Amino acid sequence: MSQFNATIIDIQEHDSINIVTFEAEGFTLHMMSLELHESIKVGTGLVLGVKASSVAIAKEFSGALSYANQLDLQINEIQEGELLCSLQLKSKNFELESIITKASAKRMHLQVADSITALIKSSDLYIVEVL
Amino acid sequence: MIHININKALHGVNGGMSLDIDLDIKQGEFIALTGASGSGKTTLLRILAGLEEAEGEIEVNNLFWLKNRKSLKPQKRSIGFMHQENSLFLNMSILQNLLFVQKDLDLALRLLSLTGLTELKDKYPKTLSGGQKQRVSLCRSMMRKPDILLLDEPLSALDAKMRTQLQLEILALHKEFNTTTIMVSHDPSEIYKLSTRTLVLENGRIIKDGKTKEVLLKSQGSQKFSFEGELLELKEVDVVIIAIVAIGQQIVEIVVSKKEAENLKVGQRVILGTKAFAPTILRPSQ
Repeated sequence: MSQFNATIIDIQEHDSINIVTFEAEGFTLHMMSLELHESIKVGTGLVLGVKASSVAIAKEFSGALSYANQLDLQINEIQEGELLCSLQLKSKNFELESIITKASAKRMHLQVADSITALIKSSDLYIVEVL
Repeated sequence: MIHININKALHGVNGGMSLDIDLDIKQGEFIALTGASGSGKTTLLRILAGLEEAEGEIEVNNLFWLKNRKSLKPQKRSIGFMHQENSLFLNMSILQNLLFVQKDLDLALRLLSLTGLTELKDKYPKTLSGGQKQRVSLCRSMMRKPDILLLDEPLSALDAKMRTQLQLEILALHKEFNTTTIMVSHDPSEIYKLSTRTLVLENGRIIKDGKTKEVLLKSQGSQKFSFEGELLELKEVDVVIIAIVAIGQQIVEIVVSKKEAENLKVGQRVILGTKAFAPTILRPSQ
């Protein structure tokens, strides 16, 4: 799980479904959610989280993707296992971890210092705690 | 409107404690009362029924049941009380059991009809099943059209199917008579189906009071799917760690990254969570 601080800049609500938009270190992020706790409003500061295995990677990509969250980051570190691969991604003060298969990392020729786009579905992003 | 502000010294399992309740209840509310055994749930019901003494005040629809140490007798309180064990009179028929409480034949027949007991009205309790006896108890507790219906784990001795049926009947009677109902229960599905408001008691005090769904839903941040368990093992596999966690009678596995595992220790209580969007629902294989 990667965690980072964020501030809510918008909440769209319909029935009990919400789309919440956050600002975090210059990035804009979107989260799909059921009912929100009453303490969660526009302007609320909180910690967001995402599982490393829910973060996909695109490199030199052109075209359209449905991922609501597409973050341009740099690979800071690569840890290879037998079948899996853990990537530490970074941009200034923003850090994110991605776990993908080693085969994908090889196929994409991923290397430290590569510029990539981290992809997170809005339903995979969650609130860890309200600050 | 019901106002309860009472205090009573109790001798609980963990030594002395004080039951200290300050509570307002609206007419027609269905309240679930839950909490560990020894937290004071049954005592609170017995105080409301006038079966135990307490300090303080109980006011029900502008009538004081308890004030300045003056206590209205149990039979003068507009209360229906249903327990886990029924206390039907064995030498009376079902109908006679109801009429013993209040000589109101129309009401008795209406209650028997609402709970599907009309055909059994002339039978005696010993010929009835456990579920039927509890139905009769429920009807009997409604015979005085009580302002407050108290249910103390009324269905805990019944099997699942019978429970579901009786739950529907309790709810039907609650609505039909616009009674205020207070039910002690430990069963989250029962509490969810019946009550609109839930109170959690701990050591004689109300530690949670809110809408039933909000009280029951254990959530962690925005994660609606959340369970507490004990971390049994952290297994390093490839570049990830598999955490083995015991939840209730079950063991589950969760994949975490090495960074995530840095803050975890075997033996810790942990909360597992995921978003409501992630889990799948299947029926168990036969």
